[in-house]
Amino acid sequence: MITTILDILIAGLLMGGIYAIIAVGLSLQYGVARVFNVSHGEFIMLGAFGTWILFTAFGINPLISLVMCAPVLFLLGFYIHKTIFRTLLRSSKIIEIFESKSMLVAFGLMYIIQNIAILVWGSDIKGYSYLNSPVNIAGAVFPANRLVTLLFALLIGAVFYLFLSRTRMGKAIRASAQDPAAAGLMGVNINQVLALCFGFGALMAGFAGTLLSLCFPIKATMGMEYTIIAIIIVTLGGLGSIVGSFIGGFILGIISSLVSYIEPSLTLVAYYVIFILMLLIKPKGIMGK
Amino acid sequence: MSNTCKISKLVTFLVLLLFTVSIPITAHSKDKIVIGAARPLSGYAAFYEANAFGPIYKMWVDEVNAKGGIYVKQYKKKLPIELKIYDNKSDIGTTTRLMEKLILQDKVDFILPPASTAFLFAAAGVANKHKYILIGAEGGATTAEKQLDKMPYLFMVLNYSNHYQCPVLADIYADLGVKSVAIIYVDDLHGIEYQGVGSNEFMSKGIEVKMIKGIPMDAKDASHLLKEAKNLNVDALVSFTYPELDFLITSQLMELGINFKSILFGPGANFEVYRATFGDKVIEGVMGEGAWNEKSSKAHKDFVERYLKRYKRETLDWWGHNVYYAGCQVLEQAIEKAGTLNQKKIRDIIATQKFDTILGKTYFKNQLLARECYAGQIGQWQNGVFEVIDPGKKRTAKPIYPKPDFPKK
Repeated sequence: MITTILDILIAGLLMGGIYAIIAVGLSLQYGVARVFNVSHGEFIMLGAFGTWILFTAFGINPLISLVMCAPVLFLLGFYIHKTIFRTLLRSSKIIEIFESKSMLVAFGLMYIIQNIAILVWGSDIKGYSYLNSPVNIAGAVFPANRLVTLLFALLIGAVFYLFLSRTRMGKAIRASAQDPAAAGLMGVNINQVLALCFGFGALMAGFAGTLLSLCFPIKATMGMEYTIIAIIIVTLGGLGSIVGSFIGGFILGIISSLVSYIEPSLTLVAYYVIFILMLLIKPKGIMGK
Repeated sequence: MSNTCKISKLVTFLVLLLFTVSIPITAHSKDKIVIGAARPLSGYAAFYEANAFGPIYKMWVDEVNAKGGIYVKQYKKKLPIELKIYDNKSDIGTTTRLMEKLILQDKVDFILPPASTAFLFAAAGVANKHKYILIGAEGGATTAEKQLDKMPYLFMVLNYSNHYQCPVLADIYADLGVKSVAIIYVDDLHGIEYQGVGSNEFMSKGIEVKMIKGIPMDAKDASHLLKEAKNLNVDALVSFTYPELDFLITSQLMELGINFKSILFGPGANFEVYRATFGDKVIEGVMGEGAWNEKSSKAHKDFVERYLKRYKRETLDWWGHNVYYAGCQVLEQAIEKAGTLNQKKIRDIIATQKFDTILGKTYFKNQLLARECYAGQIGQWQNGVFEVIDPGKKRTAKPIYPKPDFPKK
């Protein structure tokens, strides 16, 4: 019985770590940059494929790829915001108009990135084996790569939390999330902060893509399912809250593990039930203000 | 009468004359056969366009055109084929809309099927409404068999659960002495049918079915199911799941250090990309649905040689590629036999006559490819070859049992 509980709990935490990283990126992009980035999953896919290429073509360790792929995606996200979204922001009289325009652009980005990926890498399922050995924890057996994934997810989350809470740039981002107008009056370069936030969102997607590729098969069309998961977790954790995204990610991971133990077919149903309940009971999420 | 009036009358007469003369010319002149399809060029089903029917119809069209086209007696010449392919975005609604567009607006001469069972039957409704022949490719379902008499223009080439994969699998297991199985199935029509037919077949052979569990198509973790199956100490794990889940479950079996005496995967293990991803040692002894290989016949060997001149080996499909190609050959030969592009005449020929294809003598019984035509039903990876392990003449290698352990890293 204890082994079973441990089994469900640890499996949930292992999934939750990846889910958290996936959601942190979207939370930043929507919570601060106000871009409901439905192409978030495509950035995850790019991170995953980057890692796969580095591993299969050059033999580069996926954990080293973490610091190679994600920064490239950061730059991509940063310049996409500086060029496309800033133009939209300038032409929008109110933020609500910008939000709706930017969501449409994000849909466009999703199709463009996905189709380019299909052209370049095809529609095949790809994958590689890394740390695929079993690890025994108090009688419950887990894959080593998922444990590594959890450790790195926690590490990335902690570093990013410290960045937001301890650095000047982090404070500027938090100020912009709370009140962009007031932050601007206090000397924060809002345009730069918004572009950085979008870039950080893409950075997190890159990390998530690398970690996902350690454990799961990948394909060019994988993005949308992770975008949906990110939306559910962001709703659960609270928009713009890094801690909320982590709590939400782990809650969703454990619930999915529990449901998949009882009746695997109902896992997706459980996600949507949580999503609807959260919207009804606490629309701002666990850590939302 | 003024000169202007005379000239305008003359012009009107000439235009009318030209129009009248041109009608029969247009009706009888044809310089190509246009074949349309709504295929998953993007979206979740794009895998099938890249690895299943996609490479085959393109290869067939190129090969036919290299010969000058299909001879149609009505036009007294060979007509090359022109393809008109739309992206259905892996969406059934888009597929049926595009099929209507192809038939009504583009007025294509023939249509090719979309990918996977649910899409095929949605498309079959449109095809039958407009009396267009639809020779299926990816997809087939037991429950759909009852609909076939209402869909006379639909023909299915791919083998499936009761046609005749599960009965053959049960025979193989009975021969090998498998005592118990655990079944994991993807919770859609495909998985539900396979687990239903499969469990009945196993039980009819005295094989105990100790576990039957569904799994969603986009599941990210199958570890609970694998551990449960292991705890039940079953001889065989039968996973009627799609490629993405097959890849996930294969990885998780290795990661958890779990093995069974026999492991079979639904659509997934039959693809060469499965071998390319995991390598020969990992997949040694893994069974899959299918099956054929270069040893099945000389025609199959030639087919693989021609295929590899065009495509990478990783795109080969050891379940469907031979029957998909045969389906195209049937259409080609039926057009030639009919000597016309009339759908009804060609349909009747397909339903009643035999054709020479890569499979040998090829024919349909009740709109389903006859059992004798298949090169095999169940395959097993042995030294990098997807061997046919059906009992009987079509077997290309004896089954390996028990399956070897996954290699340790």
